[in-house]
Amino acid sequence: MDALGDYVWPRATSELILLPVTGLECVGDRLLAGEGPDVLVYSLDFGGHLRMMKRVQNLLGHYLIHGFRVRPEPNGDLDSEAMVAVFGSKGLRIVKISWGQSRFRELWRSGLWNMSDWIWDVRWLEGNVALALGHNSVLLYDPVVGCMLQDVPCTDRCTLSSACLIGDTWKELTVVAGAISNQLLVWYPAAALADNKPVAPDRRVSGHVGVIFSMSYLESKGLLATASEDRSVRIWKVGDLRVPGGRVQNIGHCFGHSARVWQVKLLENYLISAGEDCVCLVWSHEGEILQAFRGHQGRGIRALAAHEMQAWVITGGDDSGIRLWHLAGRGYPGLGVSALSFKSPSRPGTLKAVTLAGSWRLLTVTDTGALYLYDLEVKCWEKLLEDKHFQSYCLLEAAPGPEGLGLCAMANGEGCVKVVPINTPTAAVDHGLFAGKVHSLSWALRGYEELLLLASGPGGVMACLEISAALSGKAIFVTERCRYLLPPSKQRWHTCSAFVPPGDFLVCGDRRGSVLLFPSRPEVLKDPGVGGKAEAGSGPVGGDSGTDGSNAVAEWSPVSTLHSLHGKQGVTSVTCHAGYVYSTGRDGAYYQLLVRGGQLQPVLRQKTCRGMNWVAGLHMVPDGSMVILGFHANEFVVWSPRSHEKLHVVSCGGGHRSWAFSDTEAAMAFAYLKDGDVMLYQALGGCTRPHVILREGLHGREITCVKRVGAITLGPEFQVPCLEQPDFLEPGSEGPGLTDIVITCSEDTTVCVLALPTTTGSAHALTAVCNHISSVRAMAVWGLGTPGGSHSPQPGLTANIVSAGGRAEMHCFSIVVSPDSGTPSGLACHVMHLSSHRLDDYWDQQRNRHRMVKVDPETRYMSLAICEPDRPGVGPLVAAACSDGAVRLFVLQDSGRILQLFAETFHHERCVLKVHSFTHEAPNQQRRLFLCSAATDGSLAFWDLTTVLDHGSALLEPPAEPGLPYQLGTPCLTLQAHSCGINSLHTMPTREGHHLVASGSEDGSLHVFVLAVKAPELEEAVGEPELMPQLHVLEEYSVPCAHAAHVTGLKILSPTLMVSASIDQRLTFWRLGHGEPTFMNSTVYHVPDVADMDCWPVSPEFGHRCALGGQGLEVYNWYD
Amino acid sequence: MGRTSKDKRDVYYRLAKENGWRARSAFKLLQLDEEFHLFQGVTRAVDLCAAPGSWSQVLSQKIGGQGPGRVVAVDLQAMAPLPGVIQIQGDITQLSTAKEIIQHFEGCHADLVVCDGAPDVTGLHDVDEYMQAQLLLAALNIATHVLKPGGCFVAKIFRGRDVTLLYSQLRVFFSSVLCAKPRSSRNSSIEAFAVCRGYDPPEGFVADLTKPLLDHSYDSDFNQLDGPTRIIVPFVTCGDLSAYDSDRSYPLNLQDGSEYKYTPPTQPPISPPYQEACTLKKKGQLAKETHPQDCPISRVDALSQPLAAIQCHTVLGPEIKDNKMNCTP
Ligand SMILES: C[S@@+](CC[C@H](N)C(=O)[O-])C[C@H]1O[C@@H](n2cnc3c(N)ncnc32)[C@H](O)[C@@H]1O
Repeated sequence: MDALGDYVWPRATSELILLPVTGLECVGDRLLAGEGPDVLVYSLDFGGHLRMMKRVQNLLGHYLIHGFRVRPEPNGDLDSEAMVAVFGSKGLRIVKISWGQSRFRELWRSGLWNMSDWIWDVRWLEGNVALALGHNSVLLYDPVVGCMLQDVPCTDRCTLSSACLIGDTWKELTVVAGAISNQLLVWYPAAALADNKPVAPDRRVSGHVGVIFSMSYLESKGLLATASEDRSVRIWKVGDLRVPGGRVQNIGHCFGHSARVWQVKLLENYLISAGEDCVCLVWSHEGEILQAFRGHQGRGIRALAAHEMQAWVITGGDDSGIRLWHLAGRGYPGLGVSALSFKSPSRPGTLKAVTLAGSWRLLTVTDTGALYLYDLEVKCWEKLLEDKHFQSYCLLEAAPGPEGLGLCAMANGEGCVKVVPINTPTAAVDHGLFAGKVHSLSWALRGYEELLLLASGPGGVMACLEISAALSGKAIFVTERCRYLLPPSKQRWHTCSAFVPPGDFLVCGDRRGSVLLFPSRPEVLKDPGVGGKAEAGSGPVGGDSGTDGSNAVAEWSPVSTLHSLHGKQGVTSVTCHAGYVYSTGRDGAYYQLLVRGGQLQPVLRQKTCRGMNWVAGLHMVPDGSMVILGFHANEFVVWSPRSHEKLHVVSCGGGHRSWAFSDTEAAMAFAYLKDGDVMLYQALGGCTRPHVILREGLHGREITCVKRVGAITLGPEFQVPCLEQPDFLEPGSEGPGLTDIVITCSEDTTVCVLALPTTTGSAHALTAVCNHISSVRAMAVWGLGTPGGSHSPQPGLTANIVSAGGRAEMHCFSIVVSPDSGTPSGLACHVMHLSSHRLDDYWDQQRNRHRMVKVDPETRYMSLAICEPDRPGVGPLVAAACSDGAVRLFVLQDSGRILQLFAETFHHERCVLKVHSFTHEAPNQQRRLFLCSAATDGSLAFWDLTTVLDHGSALLEPPAEPGLPYQLGTPCLTLQAHSCGINSLHTMPTREGHHLVASGSEDGSLHVFVLAVKAPELEEAVGEPELMPQLHVLEEYSVPCAHAAHVTGLKILSPTLMVSASIDQRLTFWRLGHGEPTFMNSTVYHVPDVADMDCWPVSPEFGHRCALGGQGLEVYNWYD
Repeated sequence: MGRTSKDKRDVYYRLAKENGWRARSAFKLLQLDEEFHLFQGVTRAVDLCAAPGSWSQVLSQKIGGQGPGRVVAVDLQAMAPLPGVIQIQGDITQLSTAKEIIQHFEGCHADLVVCDGAPDVTGLHDVDEYMQAQLLLAALNIATHVLKPGGCFVAKIFRGRDVTLLYSQLRVFFSSVLCAKPRSSRNSSIEAFAVCRGYDPPEGFVADLTKPLLDHSYDSDFNQLDGPTRIIVPFVTCGDLSAYDSDRSYPLNLQDGSEYKYTPPTQPPISPPYQEACTLKKKGQLAKETHPQDCPISRVDALSQPLAAIQCHTVLGPEIKDNKMNCTP
């Protein structure tokens, strides 16, 4: 093909990249971050503004950036201008940038220089650079004109895993090379007698038992640090390395990482290391860990930079996140655990319970029935009262709200509750409630208007007391409002309570793990219409609960119950926030719930950090985010789901003892009883951390599937906020914005909803769904609509999604994306979980299971397809390609709330890789649904689902045992398209009424054919199950070496245009319709291991957007 | 998940244990041989990157000839001894190791050189692909010294972005280069094997160990970066269709009716690099950051700062984060 023919067609252009951050460097008050071939420039403006200024595109062509080296300026001026060598893989380019008057500009860039070997390190030597190359050689290179000046190899030729160049002139240039044999070789290129003459190493240093991934030299102290595969960091005393023959002494061997260490950096007073375990550790030069920064997700931290003047450490992750951390030396300021020295002759008795009323008053009771106050500011104990009725058993709970509203409540074993105003304990009010023990006590506060105290007594009766204060503030009133009845269980008491705004309902959790909804004023709710659908039994029940026969007050049952939501260990807290109810439990989960029409609805189950199997509570931080409180073995942990950081860790001994938590903007406090004393942990700044997320990460591991759901047009009022300065204005970012909504799923077990505005080339993660327990491999979308339905459409988009993956697990959920000017993307996404399915659960539920072969719980779902019959009453079918060799069909009913296995076939007898559904429509014929499945042996099978659905079981083999799925009959066509696994599959109807079918394989080949469907005419078909459609192949083509690796993405864009993507990182466009597919052009993209591609048309031109998902995400535009 | 779960997920892993192979890779070589009859007439072979040694097992069983020295096996890692196999521990990309291997073949050539080498992948794709390519090129460099004319070279390749550069390199030395994937290698894996037959170096080629063979680069005529002309060699799937599917999960009782019995691994790994770190972790001796309770403030009034002095370090509030993942200039 000649050059002219090459460029007739426009090429795809990359408009969005999300890749691991592999290079970071601070230049003045700017941060350069390398992402793929692009540089992101952040302003670290000390005035408090921190943001991305610019993306400098495509500096390294098809290479990825691995590092930056800033040219030292003789006069030390790097305030507004710098020459930067950008390198990665075998590519090198110099750019001159300036950022004077906060305008970022690229002043000049050199050519992209290709080296013959991998570049491990670059060092500026005045105007030239020295390069340390892959096979232990060093080049002196003129980067401006792009020519090699000298090339010196080491006599010890081997491949390196890292290298470090030291010195400022060629004469003193020192190489420290990390060989695959785990040795460090130190040698001097200038010792070469002539160009190309190998130089022998001056010193060999061994120590590590794994390869060395990173090195850092601190000239001022003569130290070298190395990071290795063996999970350790070593500190070496080397003196001046530029002097040959010096002694190398290992002075530190630091084990602290739990996986390989990728990066190390020596600072004047610290050593920073980061690795595969996603942890960044700060060490002293003596090898003590001073700080640990956790929060990145996935496969580790890849890049590290430091700003010594500001004491910042910046990390870049495989999750494409960038975070900034504060170096604080040893621990955080104002942190500490102290014993409050309760024990004293003047305070007899042992402590029973502790509580915090706000952040500076701590209350505690003893087994003598005495209530003590400890003022954290004055730091002294004060006895408030003593009541022998509260001796042997006493519950203690401070009221919620600021400073606990100055109230606390006690309860005893004889059914009595005491409400104590802390400032005037003499005004305490006693209230007898039950004949037996009060099992639990909790508060509920609505604004400042309504304060309730709930107490559970014998027989599952929960009394509701209303607390009010006299105008003088001196006296309080306690009146019983009503009684509720909890569902029967062995330990029948409530554990927590909260008002559901606006206040008609109370939500409670109980010891049995159920979440319950009660009307807050049941007596005014006599008319069942008010609280929505009142359940049977929600009316008052006579006081027949047995144990408590004293007064026959009505007892109200819950109007809605989520039975045993948190399992046997119980619910630990309920919190209402931003329209949702959150419940936490000792099952290690927290749920997001919704109250709708007087009913509780589970929305999503959320996961906490690993190992936190006792979630104790949830807390809203002043900055609007949420933190999770819980216990992790014997530690109390405050964990942020947003940053994935453990904000506080206190070794308190576990959650079984009495403890209390409070948090204000100023300080966080955690109190617990230990060894007969009150221990208090306090942290200044509360639960907010100064650490900054410069950029949120996306998935921590490979993306396995991408799907575009739809698009939303945002009016000008929902403009994605533009950064103010003209420099930040993205061209074309004015005017109404069209935003694509794309979903991705990943091996990290999550499904993510992304907004990709078409005009700004940015991406915003809207929500993540974390219900899967194993990797998620496939998704399918159905029921696209707008909020408000078709009757009163509102801006936005709704859709149902089914996701599936490892451990034979499938989940259905719906998403609602709507405009929300309060978020950076201008959009908000709400998710509602609908249903889930696991093959082995299904098996466990079967009665005759001893007679069946157990479904392998390790089965992986490889691909999904939705098949929507056009018949009323029949829900969509989900077809799943399964690794155990089956194609399974599920039915979705009740808009996705019911998901059931319906039929299966083991036709393929090997791992099924792909399923794809399509419909055949022709005049005079019934619309037909087909399913195509493809397996690891290169074969395709076509299934006629319409006939299956029409005739129901007549065409299906009935199951061998009742309760088992039906067996699908024989496919209506099978075809050997490839010699090995089929990794992509797509179809498109042609103008002639046929179907183009295209598949791509592991062997890099494409197969395209025209499929004709001969279906019976409508009239003859009636009631004749024998008249099945006939499928024929009309034309068939194969392109054997279309790609050099698996073709994992393939889409027919029009009857004349097709695009394929492969693990060989080429996106190739093909002309169809004139016999064999012909090559149009191809683009090299940057995402490795692409597993899936989705394409959709973009208006107004005839263009297409292609999203590629693999180890990252990349979006291309292509105009025909 | 019990110890049998890997047996279910990976049928070849299980079969390897049951058949006494040290690794499931044995089936890859057997299936390659099924297709290409690699062992025919072979009396001397080199197994590069051999540990834990299943290929060496296959070679020593399948090739003809007598006496020791028929198979020379090389690996970075230590490997349990095998009868009739000479072992060398070292880095095949290192000059000294290459020299040591070649010494064994002075005066008589090898008929077959195989290399199943793979670096310990880092997850950074470009680095891993490069490292893998260097193993292949180092193996090729060794092959150019020891292989008899017409001999055969089989090496693992990662089919990534730059695999066509390796193909063009191999074509220089062999009359036939194919890409083969045994059925025991997973669909999801990017590994495949370059099967190069008919060793025929270009005229005037002088093998030089001291210079590494570097990968080719793209050119605008024969091997384009993004044009239609690329050197993609024919692809062959090896092993017949009735072979087990490595991507499929199988029930423990396979169809041939034999009863399942758990078999422990044949050859557990010898001292992995992370051993010491793991031992320390087990003993709880990994360094930890100092939690506040480890340096308790024993008395209350020892609190160094009053609680009121707050937010001295929140110059950059967390709310000023950049949510934008990406923007184009
Ligand atoms: C997949 S295993 C080989 C399995 C082997 N063929 C068998 O059947 O047992 C890859 C081996 O390559 C080795 N290797 C990696 N880099 C090497 C190098 N530079 N020199 C020698 N061996 C290397 C590793 O130590 C590892 O044992």
